[in-house]
Amino acid sequence: MNEAVRHVDFALAERCRTNAPGAFEELYRAQAPRLFALACRLVGRTNAEDLLQEIFLTAHRKMALYQGDSALGTWLFRLGTNLCLDYLRSRNARFAQISGPFAEEPAAGAPAAGAVLGVVDRIDLERALETLPAGCRAVFVLHDVEGFEHREIGELLHISDGTSKSQLHKARMRLRAALSGAAAPAARTR
Amino acid sequence: MGECSDIRNQLSAWIDGELDAAGRARVDAHLASCERCRGLARDLTGVRDAARRLGPVTPPDHVWLEVAGQIRLTDPRPAPVAPRRRSRPALVQWLGLAAALILLTLGAYVFTRLVPAPEAPGNAPREASVETVTEELRLALQHYEKAIAELEALVKDGNQSLDPEVAASLQRNIALLDQVAAESRSALTEEPASVPARESLFEALRRKVSVLQSTVLLMNEMRQGDAAGAARAAEALRKS
Repeated sequence: MNEAVRHVDFALAERCRTNAPGAFEELYRAQAPRLFALACRLVGRTNAEDLLQEIFLTAHRKMALYQGDSALGTWLFRLGTNLCLDYLRSRNARFAQISGPFAEEPAAGAPAAGAVLGVVDRIDLERALETLPAGCRAVFVLHDVEGFEHREIGELLHISDGTSKSQLHKARMRLRAALSGAAAPAARTR
Repeated sequence: MGECSDIRNQLSAWIDGELDAAGRARVDAHLASCERCRGLARDLTGVRDAARRLGPVTPPDHVWLEVAGQIRLTDPRPAPVAPRRRSRPALVQWLGLAAALILLTLGAYVFTRLVPAPEAPGNAPREASVETVTEELRLALQHYEKAIAELEALVKDGNQSLDPEVAASLQRNIALLDQVAAESRSALTEEPASVPARESLFEALRRKVSVLQSTVLLMNEMRQGDAAGAARAAEALRKS
């Protein structure tokens, strides 16, 4: 993080800590769309609004913990990611067992090899994401959408790098199946 | 075929450039001669690239209003703005809003108990007597109505400070929501266990609370002289 950004972020955090008018709203306006997208993709639109509120209320409470070691947006995004994952763990027993071994489930009904997709439409992809089991959906969103490394995903989800990689592959294969219009096995195993 | 299966399991790592030189060369060589695996690799790359293009999603405006309200309630330190004479202190407004939010939460809780859970296969359908549903519905409605009454009192108190256009928009929204609520109530009177009528009624009440909350926030921002905050609250109100 460059020095100028560090100063700007630290100053904004300080203004938030002292309740300066407009400061926390400035942070919200800048960061909420990315966090809301993450929450929608991880926990579904229905729960994402409540979770977004919780993320920003938690951030407000914990603002004193921000030391300026990373960009304020990065700090907030990490906090939001953890809250989304905590939510999934509390609501989804299968997700809570994500640290267990993952055998590749037979992709019955999935298209065989060979190209079956054209250009992937954004809305179709968002819909297909909803059909994924929570565990591999989280890995896919964090890796392919948000750009996290497998090492970071491993830390966030308490899984090994290898499990993260196998879950990512599984997610892509399931998405391909869903996008191709084939009966996605994910829908039956949720 | 065995080689294809082995290669396919490595395609994601190949796409992401995570294979070592030897592994990469092996996949490259296979793809050069296997059209089916090459097609699969193209699909998986397409999925990954589409994911990278997914962008942010703008949350509804009421989320910020609710966050701002909660922060004021839990950390009501006065903003560093010169105090102005006002008919009702901001703190009282936020206490009113707090009461409304608590009542709303309770109402939502009762409402969720009213919505039947999906039936598990093989289970006998849950039986809730019409009397039980009606009584719980009445309790939930009470919570909403108290919340709305609190908020309406706050709005009435500061109504003269609203821009005429905003005030007219507020009246239109409220009238529309009242009409939906009245129609839903009428449907519920005829059929007390009707889930669509109940959902429609609660949605109308929830939106009414949201509109009123936005109005209270707008009035508060105007009293504090925060023009930018007032403009945003007014915009949220227009959209609600």
